[in-house]
Amino acid sequence: MADPARMIKPEVKAERTASANEERPKSEGAGDAAAAAKPTDVNKESSSQDPIKEEAKSETAAGEDDDDPSSSKRLKLEPEKKKERRQKVDEDEIQKMQVLVSSFSEEQLNRYEMYRRSAFPKAAIKRLIQSITGSSVSQNVVIAMSGISKVFAGEIVEEALDVCEKWGETPPLQPKHMREAVRRLKSKDQIPNTKHKQILFH
Amino acid sequence: MAEEEDEAGYDEELDDGSGGVDVGGHGKRKRLFSKELRCMMYGFGDDQNPYTESVDILEDLVIEFITEMTHKAMSIGRQGRVQVEDIVFLIRKDPRKFARVKDLLTMNEELKRARKAFDEANYGS
Repeated sequence: MADPARMIKPEVKAERTASANEERPKSEGAGDAAAAAKPTDVNKESSSQDPIKEEAKSETAAGEDDDDPSSSKRLKLEPEKKKERRQKVDEDEIQKMQVLVSSFSEEQLNRYEMYRRSAFPKAAIKRLIQSITGSSVSQNVVIAMSGISKVFAGEIVEEALDVCEKWGETPPLQPKHMREAVRRLKSKDQIPNTKHKQILFH
Repeated sequence: MAEEEDEAGYDEELDDGSGGVDVGGHGKRKRLFSKELRCMMYGFGDDQNPYTESVDILEDLVIEFITEMTHKAMSIGRQGRVQVEDIVFLIRKDPRKFARVKDLLTMNEELKRARKAFDEANYGS
């Protein structure tokens, strides 16, 4: 049961960078009567715009007064646009989550509450890390480490549930499911292992 | 019965250097996260009462994970110390964990700021 919020983020990031790249060739070709350019024409434009870009660069080198206010304004707008878009995406995400959670059954609500609230005790994690390093660690390290450990545990449980379903069995999970899950994740390099040193060139 | 045998087999796997130990290298240590891991497994999709052996395996895995990350973090950046930047660097390839760490640290900063503002407001009035 992955957090739906988590799965959306990488896609959103990719979307954001793609649309940001689309915007730049558009804004540079604005003075070129290509203002009505569609995203599908971006590829053609970018190749035809390279000479235009170079011209623009030489222009800014020669006459800085006219070009600078417009270009600096453009640079200022872009991070703000990105922030706006990111906030809007977050709001959408929050709304979707609210709609989803409001439609949960009692059992699902219980499970969701356990999912959000369960956490590793900070004191135990701090003690564990300090026993390995021998020196004290900051609070942020403990926060980061317990967060990552929870995600790690979640990945294993999810993989084990996949294995359990694939083998046609039902929860609760048995050690054999856990072990098969570990084997699968190891082949995907999701489980760190520095004990076995691989000699490349023998 | 079969599960007990499996459990012994698993412990032997971890038991690289210390041959001849019956219980298994990790068996003697007290269980640190039993209660929390049970809740976590339920939250992630397992049954409401997960098997104790599964919880034990998961605890061993988590402790091994933390140990590996700590050792790696000690060997990069500032040697012999574990810092947040090292952890973030080690995690950079895994999108889920990376996003989670960034979120946690950002939220922590916001909470600290909010608490500080709240305390100052109280002090002022």
